[in-house]
Amino acid sequence: MEKLSYLILSGVTNGSVYGLIGLSLSIIYGSSRVINFAQGDFVMLGALSAIMFVTTFNLPWFIAIPGVIGVVMLTALALNYGVYRPMVRRKAPPLTIMMGTLGASIMIYGIGLLVWGPDQKFVPALLSLKPLIVGPLITNPQQLAIIATFAAFLVLTWYILYRTRFGLSIRATGVDPKVALLMGIRSERIVLFSFLFSATVSGIAGVLVGPLLGGQIGMGLMLIVKGFLAAILGGLGSPFAAAAGGIAIGMMEALMAGYGTSLYAEPAIFMLILLVLFVRPYGLLGDYEAERR
Amino acid sequence: MPLATKRASVWPVVAVLALGVALPFLLSGGFQLRIAMLIWIFAILSMGFNLLYGYTGQISMGQQGFYAVGAYAFALLQIKLGLSPVLAFAGAVAICAVLGLIVAYPLLRLRTHYLAMATLGFGLILNGVANRWIDFTGGTAGLTVPPLTWGGEALGRTGIYYVVLAIAGVVFLLHDFIARSHVGRALQAIRDDETAAAALGVPVRRYKLRIFVLAAAIAAVAGCCFSVVSLRVDPSLGEFHILVSMLTIAVVGGLGTRFGPLIGAAIVTILPQLLLQFGAAETLIYGAFIVLFLLFIPHGLAGLVENVRWTRKSAAPARTAATNVLEVKG
Repeated sequence: MEKLSYLILSGVTNGSVYGLIGLSLSIIYGSSRVINFAQGDFVMLGALSAIMFVTTFNLPWFIAIPGVIGVVMLTALALNYGVYRPMVRRKAPPLTIMMGTLGASIMIYGIGLLVWGPDQKFVPALLSLKPLIVGPLITNPQQLAIIATFAAFLVLTWYILYRTRFGLSIRATGVDPKVALLMGIRSERIVLFSFLFSATVSGIAGVLVGPLLGGQIGMGLMLIVKGFLAAILGGLGSPFAAAAGGIAIGMMEALMAGYGTSLYAEPAIFMLILLVLFVRPYGLLGDYEAERR
Repeated sequence: MPLATKRASVWPVVAVLALGVALPFLLSGGFQLRIAMLIWIFAILSMGFNLLYGYTGQISMGQQGFYAVGAYAFALLQIKLGLSPVLAFAGAVAICAVLGLIVAYPLLRLRTHYLAMATLGFGLILNGVANRWIDFTGGTAGLTVPPLTWGGEALGRTGIYYVVLAIAGVVFLLHDFIARSHVGRALQAIRDDETAAAALGVPVRRYKLRIFVLAAAIAAVAGCCFSVVSLRVDPSLGEFHILVSMLTIAVVGGLGTRFGPLIGAAIVTILPQLLLQFGAAETLIYGAFIVLFLLFIPHGLAGLVENVRWTRKSAAPARTAATNVLEVKG
């Protein structure tokens, strides 16, 4: 029983991180029909720039967190103005734009390699990692913070999308950018906002998960794949479906690693997702996105 | 409107292969010959990707997985079952083709991003298996491949070069044949508009499945060649950087062009040798290459070259039978 509760908690923690990445991917996808391959690198930048600000420059957290957000936002601006917008203006199809973001992801990785080197680094924890006993559960404040952040971003995203005029224009852009433009919505600004917002979500996820996973410049790749699997399992069309998919993947991973071996956890999850795609190619909760061009 | 490659002849390909035959006499030293072999191997790998993505528009980011499986199968069939290299080669290609079929069947229901990420997941999982299934794959240390022999003696470097060249030549001719034949036109029609292609009588699903399996088999061929050249296989074969090199080759060389894979492979293999002083910045330069080429030279270097030589038909490369039909309908 203790083992089960421990596994569920760690599953929810990892799942929250995958869910946050799935959410970020889905927000950008919703406004621009593009999968941002560099999303995982925002997580990496979050974790590693936290090291830079806190350990190297010895700054307190209340300066470091805005600093981290500044770093990921600058990167998101560069991605938007340097890759996304020129490619859209050249009428590149979405998959080509994804190749462009992949190129950008490789560049971010290359810059990370120059700045931080290839080794795994210890990321300072925002909250203590000391065990904390809550009822029957053994946890630590960092884990709880990740889950709380996940919940907070879910609520924030829901609020922005469904309770503000701005959110209405985001959703309109998602349905048809051209018609939205005719209605006076500046689609390019909406896309810019979605890049900045999702970069912030991923960057903060990186700061929080860094101490648990360890900071390494290659961490973005595995995270983007998990985040994307989360998004296709749930359904890429909705940020909340993507987030739910993240929790599901985190749970499966933890349970399979706990009761089986971690060697087979990844292939098993992949097989499961293949199965889901076979039955529902647009995700468990999703719409008919996958078959639409 | 005439289709893209009607007038294109096979002679440029033959000329390139003749240059390949002459290459050992032009190069000095074993190191340069090794670079030449790597160019051919990457060209083989990228030709499969070019057929799949450049011509058919179906992206696979799991090609490095098939590359690694091919190399491992080639090594293991020789070590564990004691097969001869030729049989092991055939076996490795067959294994990858079957694996490709199993993966392609469900995955080809997906399109664009979904297909890209699902195949990438497949590639990463294969890499994880290669790293962790230590009893079978030798873990991170990898396996040693027995050297090729000819009449009881180990084949020299030049001999191995000609083996690789012969295999690459066959793949190159096959790639070129598909690109120039009615199959290539059907594939391009699928890329440009699946519905229109189906309306014209192209069996879309069957062609997509076949080309995915072919690309997997070609990746296996490249993997076998690599293990013949390097005499060892290890998990780095299935790693992300192989995919990065392959994508860079595809984009720099030119997607959906006849000579793109070869030109791209030559550049991506030779350039790092010239850029040695940059060392750690190599990854950054690769990324910048992908972005800059996609933005400014979207048809790659081969696209530039082929445009010069066949101006009339390359002027509108996107116009194929399928788009014409669509325009008539719309």
